[in-house]
Amino acid sequence: MAKGILRMLAACCLAAAAGSATAHHSVAGQFDSGKPVRLTGVISKIDWVNPHIYIHLDVKDEKGVVTTWRLETLPTAMMRKAGLTSQMLLADGAKVTANAILARDGTQALAWVSKLTYDDGHYYQLAGE
Amino acid sequence: MLIPTIRSSVTARGDGKLLVAISAALLAGLLPVAGSPQAPAREKPIPRLADGHPDLSGIWENGAGIDFVQPQQRGESLCVSGCGPAPGAAPPSPRPAAQAAAPPRPTRPQYRPELQAKVADLTKRQVEEDPVLRCQAPGIPRIGPPDKIVQRAGEAVFLYDDVSGGFFRIVPTDGRAHRKDVEPSFLGESVAHWEGDTLVVESQSFNDKTWLTDDGAFHSTDLRVVERLKRTADTLDWTATVYDSKVLTEPWEVPLRTAHLTDLDLVEAAPCVDQDIDHIVDGSHHPNPR
Repeated sequence: MAKGILRMLAACCLAAAAGSATAHHSVAGQFDSGKPVRLTGVISKIDWVNPHIYIHLDVKDEKGVVTTWRLETLPTAMMRKAGLTSQMLLADGAKVTANAILARDGTQALAWVSKLTYDDGHYYQLAGE
Repeated sequence: MLIPTIRSSVTARGDGKLLVAISAALLAGLLPVAGSPQAPAREKPIPRLADGHPDLSGIWENGAGIDFVQPQQRGESLCVSGCGPAPGAAPPSPRPAAQAAAPPRPTRPQYRPELQAKVADLTKRQVEEDPVLRCQAPGIPRIGPPDKIVQRAGEAVFLYDDVSGGFFRIVPTDGRAHRKDVEPSFLGESVAHWEGDTLVVESQSFNDKTWLTDDGAFHSTDLRVVERLKRTADTLDWTATVYDSKVLTEPWEVPLRTAHLTDLDLVEAAPCVDQDIDHIVDGSHHPNPR
């Protein structure tokens, strides 16, 4: 898992390295590859913005309390090149499991997502694992 | 494309001269020779406007970070990034260095001795200070080659889709002088002329709020930038030279970037809304290519 996360970070840093269209900070400066998390819930909103898209995932705990996680992911240009749209990510409210790593600064319910797997088995790999 | 042209020529000349016309075409290399595998493939012609200048119009994938994204469809699933080689795919052929996804690290602009402390400080605190991370226009040459060019005789429009927003430049290409009635701006004021098939774009009237590179290379309002754009059929070579004697000891040559013709349409740029800066804890940054 740790090795996979490292590859993911390398890919993201490579993305950020190649020019102003995606120039940004290092993912490792914001998220901790040593703190992986798996979250299951429903995507309630997509912030289709740059420099990074944010996916809002509503996760219900065993007491029925819903926490909305903010999952940071790729810039819009990369999603467009792949043909991935916000509607595809929303998937009509289907249940989805996110592989992610937690924020370094301890901010609650903030993570970097590498993979979304939907209830019917199809998935979107957003970074290496 | 060439063969119909030759046929028209033959028709105009009459059948009696068919053999002569075909022989001439073969000698000129316009027709492939059957059974001659060693005959070199001809390069596609450069599109040109009616005025004879190259037509740079097109959508250009400029290598700015998404070259390495090679999506893989996997049934109903999709891998966008970090996919590894596709199942059963042949290993990728090596690409020329100028076209590689991650260009080699360039030399940085060289600053005057009295500015070295500022250079060191901005290099160290680049994530903290980077204007692009706060959704400000990246400026030139940092913005790189245009993502799309729309050109007509005497004028070219450069369009950009940057993480910090969508930008445009309207560049007269008729060799006129710089305007004197413009305020300093993020992308400056540009005029252009042709040197052979190369479009030479000269820009000035910049503010000093942008960087030359991703890693803190600042400039003054004396900045002048000369960009050179040259197209083949499917590629666009872009270079730039930076002049700013107020802060630099010598002009800085921005490394060549080669953009590739693509059919991925430009759309309205997504809004830039940074939500990251407040959560970055160690200021680490990527290795900058420019």
